[in-house]
Amino acid sequence: MATPSIQTPLPDEIASGAAPGQLEFTPQQLLANDPHEEPLIAGGVLCHGGFLDGDYVSPRCLFRTPAIQNWQRRLLDEGHALISLPTRYVPPHYPNYAQAKLLLQQGVVDPITRSLTLISIVEGFGARIRDVPLPDLRGEIVENIDGTALAHLDQGLLEAHARDEAGHRSEGGHKQMWEAARDLGLDKPEVPEDVLLQMMSGQRRSRPERAFPDLSERMEALISVMSNVMVIEIFAEDVFEWAKQLLGDPEVSADPAAGAAMVAHIQSDEKPHVQYLRTALSELRARTLRSEDGKREIPGQQVVDEIFKRQLRGMATQRPREQREQLRTEVRQSFEDEARATELARQFDSLDSGWVFPHRDDEPIEILLETA
Amino acid sequence: MSALRWISSPAVRFWRSARIGYTAACVWLRYKGPRWWDRALGRDPDARDLTRVHERNAEQIFETAVHLKGLLIKMCQVIGTRSDFFPPPYVKTLSKAQDQVPPRDFEQIRRVVEEDFGKPLDAVFSEFETTPVAAASLAQVHAAKLLDGQTVAVKVQYPDIDRIVRTDLTAMRRICRIYERFDPQPIELLPLLDEMQKHLELELDFRREVENADRIRGLFANDESVLIPAVHHELSTQRVIVMEFVSGIKVTDTDALQTAGIDARRVVNGLMSVYNRMILGFGFFQADPHPGNIFVQPGPRFVIMDFGLAKQLPKGFGMGLFELMFSMMTFNEAAMIRAFEELGFATKTGAEDTYVELARRMIGASDDGTFSGEFTEEMTDELFEAIRENPIVKVPTDFVLVARAFSLLSGIAHTLGHRANVLDSMGPGGANSRTESAFSS
Ligand SMILES: Nc1ncnc2c1ncn2[C@@H]1O[C@H](COP(=O)(O)OP(=O)(O)OP(=O)(O)O)[C@@H](O)[C@H]1O
Ligand SMILES: [Fe+2]
Ligand SMILES: [Fe+2]
Repeated sequence: MATPSIQTPLPDEIASGAAPGQLEFTPQQLLANDPHEEPLIAGGVLCHGGFLDGDYVSPRCLFRTPAIQNWQRRLLDEGHALISLPTRYVPPHYPNYAQAKLLLQQGVVDPITRSLTLISIVEGFGARIRDVPLPDLRGEIVENIDGTALAHLDQGLLEAHARDEAGHRSEGGHKQMWEAARDLGLDKPEVPEDVLLQMMSGQRRSRPERAFPDLSERMEALISVMSNVMVIEIFAEDVFEWAKQLLGDPEVSADPAAGAAMVAHIQSDEKPHVQYLRTALSELRARTLRSEDGKREIPGQQVVDEIFKRQLRGMATQRPREQREQLRTEVRQSFEDEARATELARQFDSLDSGWVFPHRDDEPIEILLETA
Repeated sequence: MSALRWISSPAVRFWRSARIGYTAACVWLRYKGPRWWDRALGRDPDARDLTRVHERNAEQIFETAVHLKGLLIKMCQVIGTRSDFFPPPYVKTLSKAQDQVPPRDFEQIRRVVEEDFGKPLDAVFSEFETTPVAAASLAQVHAAKLLDGQTVAVKVQYPDIDRIVRTDLTAMRRICRIYERFDPQPIELLPLLDEMQKHLELELDFRREVENADRIRGLFANDESVLIPAVHHELSTQRVIVMEFVSGIKVTDTDALQTAGIDARRVVNGLMSVYNRMILGFGFFQADPHPGNIFVQPGPRFVIMDFGLAKQLPKGFGMGLFELMFSMMTFNEAAMIRAFEELGFATKTGAEDTYVELARRMIGASDDGTFSGEFTEEMTDELFEAIRENPIVKVPTDFVLVARAFSLLSGIAHTLGHRANVLDSMGPGGANSRTESAFSS
C-alpha cells in the first residue's frame, strides 16, 4: 500500500482535512498525518507523531478523526446507538498507584518493570489486528455498508491502528513509547528475564466455543476481535492514569515530567482506536447478518451484544484475577528475608482497593448505549 | 575375528581413511577442475552455477557415509543442521542419512548393555525385543520389560562407536590439512571439525542426554501437555538409557491423528507453544524437533524424545529474537539492527545495512512477501544463503539452531496443513489475549 511518508510534505488539499459530512476516504487519507514541526524521539528512538507549537500531535489523524466523527454522526442521525461500557466494569490497574509506589520505595522494582514491559509487548501485539482475515462484509451483511467505518476497516483503519501500536518502517510506535516511558521513569531498569515466559504461561485457554455457529467463522471472529480490542482499549484508560501518576511522581520517578508526558502521548493516540471500533461494532449492531449458508438472517444487535458481553466478562473477571495472583506471588518472593517479605506483603495488601467485578457469573451484564 | 575387533583393526582403519580420502578428492576436483578450465579459457569462474556439482558431491558423500556408517552418518546429520555454512543440496541430501541406517546385530547390543550393567541381560529384564524400534547413527532403541513388568525403551549406543568416531575424525583432519595446503583459497573446515568433535564427545555420553531430559522435564513439571519419558536413573549409564516406554502418534501422521480425533490445528498451536516456551521463555531447549522425535497423545499432549542435542541459550536471547521478529513484522530497520546485534551477529566491516539486507531477503522469501511470525524453510534457506554470500563474520550457533528448529516446526505444520506462526502462538498468556482466537485462525 503506497502511503505518504512523514517526510513528504502534504499537498494542500490533504492538509485541509475532511469535508463536512464526508463518508468515503482512501487508505492514503486515513493514514495521513497532521502537519507537525518536530518528530517525537523516545529514548533515542524515532517514533510516530510529533510536535506543533510545542503540543503533541498524534499520527495518522488528519482524516481519521473527522472520518470517525462523520460516521458516528450518521449512525446517530439514523436513529441508532453507539455502544460503550459502564465505568464500573473497568478493573483498576493492579497493583494500584499506592501499592506500586510502596514497592518502588521499598526498592522492589522488578514487578513494575515487568508490568510496564508487558504493556509495551501487548501494545506491539496490537499490530496483529491487521492480519485478522475479514469476512465478505458486503455478502454477509444484508444492508448496504457504503460510507461506514465497517467498509473502511481494510481501507486504512486496521492498518493505521497496527502502525500506531507497533510502529512502521523507520518509526517506532506505542511499543517503543512504553519502553521509553518505563526507562524514563525507572531509570533504565534491567528487564527481568522471565517477562516473555510470564506472558506465555498464563491460564491455558481452549478455543472458545462458537456463539453463533450459523455465521461464517470469519464474521464471528471479526466481531470477537473488535470487541476484545475495544474492551482492552477502554480498560487501558485506567492504565494510562495509573502510569501517569506513578511515572510522574517525583518521589519515585527518575524523570517525572518526561515519563508522564510520554504516557500522555500514547493516551492521546489511543482515542481513535476505541472510537473506530465502537463505530464499526455499532454499525453492525444496526444491521442484519446473513448465515453462512445464506438461509437465515440474524439481527446484528443480538450477535454483537452477546459477543461483546462475553468478551467483557472474560476480560473483567478472569484476567484481573490472574494478574493479581501473579503479582502477589512476585511481591512475596521479592525478599529473601522472610520477615521483611511478610511485612511488605501485609502493607501491600492493606492498600488493595478491593475491587471486584460487580456481577456474579450467572448475573446478566449490561452495556451502555449512547443515542442522539 | 569378531565383528568388533575387525572394525577397529589397522587394515580396516586404513581402508576407512582411504575411502574417505578418495571421496574428498573427488569432491575437491569437481569444484576445482571446472575453475581451472574456465581460467584457461579466460571465462569468469565465479559465474558458474554450482548447483549440479553440489548435488553430485552431496550424493557421493552420502553413499560413502551410508557405506561406512559411524561418524560419517553423524557428520551428515551435523551438516544437515548447518545450513548457514553448506549449500542447500548438501543439507537436503545429507540430512536423509539418518533414515538409512540398518540395525546392528543384537549380540553387539547385548554386549554393551551387559558390560555397562555388569550383569547378564536377564538379570535386569524379563523380556528384551531383539528387533529394534529404531536405529540411528550412534545408537538404537529396543523395547524391553523390567523384572517388575514395566515396559521400557532401552537406548543403546553402538559398541566401539567412540573409536570409530576418533578414526574418522583423524582421517578427516588429515584430509583437511592436505586440502588447505593445496587449495590457494581454502574454506576453513578445521574449525567446523573442532566444533563437531566437541559436539560428538558430548553426545556420546548418554548421562548428559539424561541430564538434559531431566532438566526439560522439570521445566514442564506443571504442564499436562508435555511428556518427557521418565528415566530409570539407576539403569542408565554412559552408553545405555532405560526409560519409560511411551506410545503416541508420530506428529506428522495426519491419518492417525484424524482417526484418533485429534485436531491438527491444536497440534500445531500446542507444539509451537511448547517450543516457544523453551526457546523464548526458559532459554533451554530440545534443539532437534524432527518429526521422529515427537509423538502426540490425545489432549493433545506432546511426547518429546531425544535430548542429545539440547541447548542453553545466552541471557537475553529470547528477548533479542522476539525483537527481531517484531522489527521484521513492522519492517523497522533501526530495531532490526539492534536485534541482530543483541543476538550476537557481527559483520566484517561493521556495516549495519548488511543486517537490513539479510532481513529483507528472508522476508522476501516468505509466501506473501511480509513477515507475520512464521519462519518457513524457504525463509531460513534464503537467510542462510544470504549469510554465506555476505560479509557476516559471526553468526551465533544458537541462532542457527533456533532458526533450524523453527523451520523444522514449520515443516511439521505444513504437513498438517497449517502454519507455524511463532508470534501467534506466544499465547495463551494473559497478556496477549488480544491475539487470541481469531488472530490464530
Ligand atoms: N521412551 C521411548 N518410548 C518409545 N519409543 C521411543 C522412546 N525413545 C525413543 N523411541 C523411539 O526411538 C526412536 C529413536 O530414538 P532417539 O531419537 O532418542 O534416538 P537417536 O539415536 O537420537 O535418533 P536420531 O538421532 O535419529 O534422532 C524415536 O524416534 C522413537 O521412535
Ligand atoms: Fe497503543
Ligand atoms: Fe490501541
